[in-house]
Amino acid sequence: MLNTFKNIVCIPVVFLLMLSSAHAAGLSPEEIQFFEKEVRPLLSEHCWSCHGEKEQKGDLRLDTRGHTLLGGESGKSIIPGKPDESLLIEAIRYESYEMPPAGKLKAEQIKVLEKWVSLGAPWPGADDTVPVRKDHGPRFTDKDRSWWAIQPLQDVTVPKPVAGDWCRNEIDRFLLSESEQQGLKPAPEASRASLIRRVYFDLHGLPPTPEEVQEFLNDQSPAAYERLVDRLLDSPRYGERWARHWLDVVRFADSDGYRADGYRPEAWRYRDYVIRSLNEDKPYNQFVQEQLAGDELFPDNVDALIATGFLTHGIYEWNSRDVAGQWNIMLNELTDTVGDVFLGVGMQCARCHDHKFDPILQKDYFQLRAFFEQILIPSHQVAATPQQLEKHRLEMAAWEQATAEIRKEITAIEAPYRENAKAVTKSFPPNIQAMIAKPVEERSPREQQLVTLGWRQVEHNYKELDRKLKPDDKEKVLALRRRLSTFDKLKPAPLPVAQQVRDVGPVAPKTTIPKKRTECEPGFLAIFDQPAADYYGSKQTDTTGRRTALARWITQESNPLSTRVIVNRIWQYHFGKGLAPHSSDFGRLGGPPAHPELLDWLTRRFLDDDWRFKNLHRLIVNSATYRQSTQHPQEQAMLAIDPENKYYWCADTRRLDAEQIRDSILAVTGQLNLQAGGPGVAASVPRRSMYLRMMRNSSDPLLEVFDLPRFFTSVPARDTTTSPVQSLQLFNSQQMLRFADQLTKRAYAESTADSDEAQEDAALHRAWEIVFGRPVTKAELSVAKEFLNRQSMLLSEQETTVNLQQQETATMPYRTGQSVVFRADKPSPFYVANDKGLNTENCTIEVFFQIQSVYESGAVRTLVSKWSGAVSEPGWLFGVTGRGSRRKPQTLVFRSFGRNSDGKVGDAIIFSDQHIEFNTPYYAAVSFHVSDEHAGTIDFYLKDLSNDDEQLSRITKKHEVTQVSENDLPIAFGQMVRNRQSFFDGLIDDVRLSSQALDVQSLLFTQESVLKNTLGYWKFDPVPGMFQDSSTRQYHLTQSDRMISAGSPRREAFVDLCHILLNSNEFFYVH
Amino acid sequence: MFSKPHVEAPRNRREFLESSGMGFGSLALTGLLSQAEAAPSQFHSQTGQKPHHRPRAKNVIFLFMEGGPSHIDLFDPKPLLNKLAGQSLPDSFGDILTAAGESRSPLLVSKRKWKQHGEAGTWVSDWLPEIATCVDDIAVIRSCWADGLNHSSSICQMNTCSLIGGRPSLGSWVTYGLGSENRNLPSFVVMQDNRSQVTNGPRNWGTGFMPAVYQGIQLREGKQPIPNLNNPEGITDQRQRTKLSLLKSLNQEFTDQHSRQTELEARIASYELAFRMQAEAPEAVDLSQETAATQKLYGMDQEETSSFGRLCLMSRRLVERGVRFVQLYHGAGSKWDAHSGIESNHTKHCKTMDRPVAGLINDLKQRGLLDDTLVVWGGEFGRTPMSEKGNGRDHNPTGFTMWMAGGGIKGGQTIGTTDELGLRAIEDRMHVHDLHASILHLLGLDRMKLVYEYNGRPERPTINEGEFQPKLVTG
Repeated sequence: MLNTFKNIVCIPVVFLLMLSSAHAAGLSPEEIQFFEKEVRPLLSEHCWSCHGEKEQKGDLRLDTRGHTLLGGESGKSIIPGKPDESLLIEAIRYESYEMPPAGKLKAEQIKVLEKWVSLGAPWPGADDTVPVRKDHGPRFTDKDRSWWAIQPLQDVTVPKPVAGDWCRNEIDRFLLSESEQQGLKPAPEASRASLIRRVYFDLHGLPPTPEEVQEFLNDQSPAAYERLVDRLLDSPRYGERWARHWLDVVRFADSDGYRADGYRPEAWRYRDYVIRSLNEDKPYNQFVQEQLAGDELFPDNVDALIATGFLTHGIYEWNSRDVAGQWNIMLNELTDTVGDVFLGVGMQCARCHDHKFDPILQKDYFQLRAFFEQILIPSHQVAATPQQLEKHRLEMAAWEQATAEIRKEITAIEAPYRENAKAVTKSFPPNIQAMIAKPVEERSPREQQLVTLGWRQVEHNYKELDRKLKPDDKEKVLALRRRLSTFDKLKPAPLPVAQQVRDVGPVAPKTTIPKKRTECEPGFLAIFDQPAADYYGSKQTDTTGRRTALARWITQESNPLSTRVIVNRIWQYHFGKGLAPHSSDFGRLGGPPAHPELLDWLTRRFLDDDWRFKNLHRLIVNSATYRQSTQHPQEQAMLAIDPENKYYWCADTRRLDAEQIRDSILAVTGQLNLQAGGPGVAASVPRRSMYLRMMRNSSDPLLEVFDLPRFFTSVPARDTTTSPVQSLQLFNSQQMLRFADQLTKRAYAESTADSDEAQEDAALHRAWEIVFGRPVTKAELSVAKEFLNRQSMLLSEQETTVNLQQQETATMPYRTGQSVVFRADKPSPFYVANDKGLNTENCTIEVFFQIQSVYESGAVRTLVSKWSGAVSEPGWLFGVTGRGSRRKPQTLVFRSFGRNSDGKVGDAIIFSDQHIEFNTPYYAAVSFHVSDEHAGTIDFYLKDLSNDDEQLSRITKKHEVTQVSENDLPIAFGQMVRNRQSFFDGLIDDVRLSSQALDVQSLLFTQESVLKNTLGYWKFDPVPGMFQDSSTRQYHLTQSDRMISAGSPRREAFVDLCHILLNSNEFFYVH
Repeated sequence: MFSKPHVEAPRNRREFLESSGMGFGSLALTGLLSQAEAAPSQFHSQTGQKPHHRPRAKNVIFLFMEGGPSHIDLFDPKPLLNKLAGQSLPDSFGDILTAAGESRSPLLVSKRKWKQHGEAGTWVSDWLPEIATCVDDIAVIRSCWADGLNHSSSICQMNTCSLIGGRPSLGSWVTYGLGSENRNLPSFVVMQDNRSQVTNGPRNWGTGFMPAVYQGIQLREGKQPIPNLNNPEGITDQRQRTKLSLLKSLNQEFTDQHSRQTELEARIASYELAFRMQAEAPEAVDLSQETAATQKLYGMDQEETSSFGRLCLMSRRLVERGVRFVQLYHGAGSKWDAHSGIESNHTKHCKTMDRPVAGLINDLKQRGLLDDTLVVWGGEFGRTPMSEKGNGRDHNPTGFTMWMAGGGIKGGQTIGTTDELGLRAIEDRMHVHDLHASILHLLGLDRMKLVYEYNGRPERPTINEGEFQPKLVTG
């Protein structure tokens, strides 16, 4: 093991710049005049305000010849006689720096300075004063070297406090001995009921069930608590909670960020890997090594390959044509993150300049980046060992042979479309296009990286191929695919695909400090003075081993930063505050640790315990310190001594974080589904928040309002804010009312009694147990009863109203406001009662929607209809066809009955042929002409709201209907009337119906308003009302099977009571 | 409570209480709306919650033309463009990178008729006849530039100074630095002209690494300007009040037992505050209180201009009530993005925006509010002189126009120039960092003194870049 702490003997290197003493004397009068008349005014006007006596931006002065020659942070500014090699000239040409920043000098002014430099930069009167400056090499002071966070772990002896009996373990001895010196006394132990709640939220992120509480209270044995802790740590719920903390730190999300915020279908494998690792108590050093260099260190371990996903979670812009610029941003982002996560130092500051407060150099930043300079992020990478790959290849052989012919046919049809998909590369800068054109073997490592990155845009287009196929080709392809699927039985199960990283090859591209042109090799912070070379493994043919070296350095026991950082994080999540106050910044601005000996002792213990977390958790949560009550009998006296509770003389009352809040609500209302793992789900699915799709640009409103981060950067700790927006969300949203209803049902279901009154009583008791994990007090009981009496009286005086609480709403991506959630398995009936005015010939039906699935059969998921599907009741229908549609799967369809041009009554089924993707927000319209000059045509309009690059598409088709049949049916949204094979599955937002075939300018997509021909315009927003028509005709919506409230005001009042419990501070705070 | 003690609101509240000896009464208001106001110097030692120098403006209305309007068709005439129309960009312009990759497509003629307006003779095209009448209050900045090529990153930069997400928006910095003047309304308000999502969505007005209390609140016209502001459908006020009173009594009991946790008091107060907002917010957006003449001034009498006119009028009402920063999106969802058919696109969007914006300036002026209110107009970038798809223009971040009026701006001037084709800013260039630094400066905030410590780093609104452009006030 290397010694981390060599003291660096560092003599500041001072270099003297010798000026020719002959310089000033030898100038000709022409030179003097040229300088005074042309050069000096230029320098004075454009340079000296920032690079003069008063200010020296970039450490550069240009007001004397000596300083000009000396240069600034970026090196010498001029080389006399060589304008093309002079940084100053480059800068005014806007070739490297762009100086002056307010605007480029005029061409003749640039020529003046070029001439001046080529003349040798004559400067009349320049004396021979030699400017002196420290070199930019490491120049650490004693203060730098005594920075606490880089000192080796101290060997500390556990102190012996006076009131030692109170202590349960070493943590207590450290803290008590310090607090005794302050005159503080610890608080008594918290009640058992408080303790179990605290430790459940801490270790599982969930409240205990009433039964779990009871069991714990009944267990009289002295080790009951310790046993409870062991049980909690053994549960899979533990990993689900603590993985959340790690995912915060590594800025994990399921989407790209930027505008399109594309979903990352494989990101979740990393999330599950983290949960798995924590549940199996994987040593932290291994955990880190897997994430930084799993592919190099453990190539035969699939989990280690998935772990490298850590390196891929940064944001990505799918249509950025500036390929090289984006790659640079990505590598810098990764460097920032690695600094935050593992080292706990603000590397970011050093990207542009040496750190102003900590001994971190700009060079350190780029040396750290150099460890990642060579990475490649291939797409669709299978996570499998070479053996698994080989096995899979063999198993695929039979299928491949059997299907070779069919696949060849498909490939042939798709070939021209694939060629088109590559056209996007023509938008790239010429140098990138040239790289793409080169044969692979001729590309440099950097070029290979950029091609891989740029090529993702082509791959993106490949995925969209189905949308582009012409109708004929599409039918052929679909038929071929159906044939292909008959061979599926020959196919082995597909190998998992995961976001991963590997090296581009054994040679890394260069890392250069921008503008300075200094090249950097991989290296650790200079202040450590440890050569990276010592950490490399044996040379490999396909990888540089750089990440291995970094991982080994970070995970060596003697690394004072990485080891303290992780232990401090664990402490912080248990107590709400770290021993060192900033868990991702141990620098001078982050502040020193409050209890440095304890931090060092804990860290040593953690290392001795094989870097495992579970024992560390055990030590912390079993301590007397952790078990203290939030209340102290001498609170005022203690507060006077230590108002911030720096010495842990009692426990803190803490608000739950966003996920704990949502999970608790789901748990107490009996909705929580504990299914583990797999792809992320929508917030409407009652699974743990950990398993929600974390989209960077749009998150669940409930989570968001309670300070859910957006995961653009590493999050070391959650904010806790209090705002009226939270209160509004909790008190006025339909969602919370629905939860209150569910809680009521649960409380009643779990309590039995003979009479109604006794049952209400029992339900009341039960509600308290469920929500707060404790019995209701007498005083509370009487307040609650009084409330029920008053509220039920009030409610019985009111008319029963439609119970809207059942209707689920959501916000559609790329839209604002509220849309309706339709579920195929739980249809929501939405009707507009029939009216003569609704039977129209020419018409336009417009709708914003997002669909989650289609029928396996050809049945249509209905958007809007005025039909039952029975031929005896002719009408019309607008929807999305099923997968099994022989003619047109997964496309828009409009079906209409009426008299045809040949005089007979029949139906027209018109398909738009526009492929509809799942979980993609669309605007769709059908504009149907029966009369006027466009009679016999129908226009389909479709716009993918998530894709700015795609215009509103329009497909025009012909039909033969000359007169649409009328019927007496209502208009139904999300289904056909009385038809069970028509249910929509997804979101429907604004719907507008017009009595005219609208032209493009009048479509809802561009004109969100009521027009002359608008028959109805339904927005589903609270304003004007979820069921209100915004048009002047006031065709309001109804639900045919109206959910009239149970008819019992008493029960309604109970729902209100439950709603209050779910709003209460006791529910949101753990103490 | 979590691990950033020196930035955490609750912790600071506690410190504040302990050090100032003030009771919970004043604390009750330190929620979303007036946190800054109740905050003494310890709260954010770096900002002091008051201006760093004498402010010229108190409020900002930022009119964001989303998608990127064409500067060379609106404020920056280029005779050479029409001369060279149909040819490729001369080689002397060097290599350029465009979003759609049509950098060598023929230059597209500008069909606009140009005239000089006002006493200053500011050039404005015939697409903006109404704004043209206000030019003597306007400083046109022709030399803006930015770094992004695509909407997402560019809008992110115009809002946060950074191309990539994660930093606080300008409105959040201002709220953090100056707080609110109205306890019952949010201090940073965002509105948009249609229901498409603004590119990047709410993170444009998010707080990045700062606590959520500084974020923009989306406001809409109508009875429920803020989401969930009203009672749920079918639930009466009386029923709500009984519930609230029970909630208060339960909460009070719990709070009494945990008096060290001051957030608990703040949460009780936040319900009261929420219901005060219920009263005040609808009034603030109720345009029926305005006279017909005022409504007409904003174009509310005409179908095309009525919708944006209403938002502009609401903006005035909001700043009148002490809202600090109004971000108003026109063309939400990149509607100004005229890659093809720029004629029909810009004709339409100019028409819907021109009259309301001119109305806003005139109305602010006649009410004496323009002196205190800085109006900023512009998009995330401009458009290229080259054509795209034959009749459109691509994104151009290297040179474009924005303008400012009011708030100490010297009107009737044109600052900076672009090259002869309007491709790149060349004189008095103002990067987004300079624009933000200037807006902050006008509000009395120094971009280097406005500091928020995050992760131990002193973070500043313009990422330590950018300078105030003094010509904005001196001419």
